[in-house]
Amino acid sequence: MTSIRVRLLKWLLLPLLVVNLAGAGLVYWLAWSPARTAVDQARILMDMVWLEAVLVPVLAVVIWLALGRGLLPLKKMTADLETRSDDDLSALDQRHVPLELSPVVTAINRLLDKVQQDAKAQQNFLANMAHQLRTPLAGFRTQLEWLLQKHIGEEESAHSIALMTSSTERMIRQTNQLLTLARAEPAKFEKERLRVVELNRLVEESIQHFVEQAHRKNIDLGFNLQPTRVMGDHFLLRDLIDNLIDNAIRYSPQDGKVTVSSLHGKDGGIFSVEDSGPGIAPSEQELIFNRFRRLDDSVAGNGLGLAIVRDIAKDHGARITVEPAAAGGTVFSVHFPFPILGAPSRLPPG
Amino acid sequence: MHILLVEDDSVLADGILRIFKGHGMVVDVVQNGSDADALLQRTEISVVVLDIGLPGMDGFEVIRRLRARGSNIPVLLLTARDSVQDRVYGLELGADDYLVKPFATQELVARVRALLRRSAPQPLEMHLGGLSLNTSSRRAKINGKAIELSVREWAVLEYLLQQASRVVSRQQIIDAILPWGAELTLNAVEVYISRIRLKIADAGIEIRTIRGFGYMLEKTEA
Repeated sequence: MTSIRVRLLKWLLLPLLVVNLAGAGLVYWLAWSPARTAVDQARILMDMVWLEAVLVPVLAVVIWLALGRGLLPLKKMTADLETRSDDDLSALDQRHVPLELSPVVTAINRLLDKVQQDAKAQQNFLANMAHQLRTPLAGFRTQLEWLLQKHIGEEESAHSIALMTSSTERMIRQTNQLLTLARAEPAKFEKERLRVVELNRLVEESIQHFVEQAHRKNIDLGFNLQPTRVMGDHFLLRDLIDNLIDNAIRYSPQDGKVTVSSLHGKDGGIFSVEDSGPGIAPSEQELIFNRFRRLDDSVAGNGLGLAIVRDIAKDHGARITVEPAAAGGTVFSVHFPFPILGAPSRLPPG
Repeated sequence: MHILLVEDDSVLADGILRIFKGHGMVVDVVQNGSDADALLQRTEISVVVLDIGLPGMDGFEVIRRLRARGSNIPVLLLTARDSVQDRVYGLELGADDYLVKPFATQELVARVRALLRRSAPQPLEMHLGGLSLNTSSRRAKINGKAIELSVREWAVLEYLLQQASRVVSRQQIIDAILPWGAELTLNAVEVYISRIRLKIADAGIEIRTIRGFGYMLEKTEA
C-alpha cells in the first residue's frame, strides 16, 4: 500500500531542500559580507526578489508534476471503473490503492456488494415468485379443464370457461417468462452449467404443445430436425426454442405456415424458425429485441419473448440473424459457436 | 389401476382427482409425505403421482424410501421447480417421469396412462370415436363392423391408438412396431398410414400429419 502524501513528499523533498539551501546560502553570504551599505542593501533585496521570482515558477511546475504523479492511482481507478461492463459488480482491487483512497474504495466496494446482493435478491425473488405462482396456476388450470369437459355441451358456459382458460394460459406464459428472464440474466448465468445438448430433441420435447397451438389457427407447422449438438443449458435453450416458435405461430396469420429446423452448420449448430407473418422492416430489426417492444398491438404478448431469446443467445455466445423468408414472412436463425462433433448418441432424456 | 396422488395443494389435488376419475381411474389422495409413505406400505398401488414440495417428508424422501423397500411402482414426479438438479436428483432416486407445473391435464393423463401400461397388462379393448381394437382377438371394428388390417397396419394403428391425441414421430412408430434388427424405411410408414387412413375413414377419427416429423391420431372435430 502506498500513500499519496508520501509520493508527494518524495517529489517535493529535493526541490524544497534546494530552495532552502539556496536561501540559507544567500543569507550566509550576506551575513558574511563586511560592507553593509545602503547600495548593498538594495542589491541584496533585488537578489532576493530575483531568486524568489525564479523559484516560484520552478516550484509551481514541480508541485504540478508532483500532484499529477501523486494522483496517478486515482486516475487509474477512474479508468478501471469506466471500462467496467455494466453487469460487473465485483469488488475493486484494494491491493495497489493509496492509503488515502482506501476508505473510498472500501465504501465503493461496500456499495457494489450491496447492489450485487440486491440484484441477486431481486432475481431470487422473481424466480421464487414465479415458482410460488405455479402451483395455484396448475390448480386453476386443472379445475378449468375439468369444468370445460363437463360443460362442453352448453355453449354459453363452455364459451366462458374457454375464455377463462385462455386467460389462465396467458398468466402461465407470463409467469414462465418472468422466471426465464430471471434465469437468463447474463450476470446470473453460470458457464459451468453448460452441457452437450441436442437441439432437435429439445424441439421434440415441446412438439405436442406447438402442434396444438398451431392447430387452433390452422397453421401448417412443419419440422426439419437433424441431429444438432451444441453446448448449452437445457432449460434456457428450451425457452429460446419455445419463444421463437411461439412468436412465429403468434405472428403468422390464420392458415399460415411455420417451419422449424435444426441443422449442423460448419461453424456450429443452427436453429431456425421461418414464419409466414407480415415480415419485419430492416429499420425495425434491431429494435425488436428490446424489452417490451411489440410490432403489432393486435397480437397478444408482453414484448419479452425476443428479449429473452437475445439474452439466452448471448449467454451461449450465439448469434441471431433476422432475414426475410422466401415466401414473405421472416426467418429467425440462432447460430451457435463451435461444432460439437461425434455421433449423435442417445443422450439421457433431459 | 389404482393411482396414489400425493399433493398438498388442495385445489390442484381436487382438480387432478376429478380429471383422473373422469378417465375412469381409481385414485387415493394424500396431502403429505408421511401419509403417502404409510399408504404405500399397506396398499396395492399401480402408479404414484408425487409432488416434490410437500410439508414434512418431501417427495424425494418418499421415493427414496419406496425404492429402498425394493418396490418398483412407477412414480411420476410433479414439481414447480424445473431446475436440472431437481430433475436429475429425482430420476436418480428412481422416479420414472417428471412433469413441471402448470401442466396440461391431457399431458398428465397421457403420462400416467403410459406408466399404467408399464405396470399393468394391456387393456383388452381400446376405443376412439367409432374405432375399437380388441387386443386379444386382434379384431378391429368401426361402428361395430369388422375391418381387415394387415399385421403391420394393425401394429401401427394399435400404437397410434395407445398414444391417441399425442404427436408421435415416424421413428417412434418404427421402434414401436418392429422387433430389433428388422428394417423399415420412413416411406414404408407413410404407406401404412395412407392405407390405414382409407380404412378408418368413417370412424370419426383422423390421423393428422405433422410435416417433417410424424403423426397424431385424434377424434375428428365435430
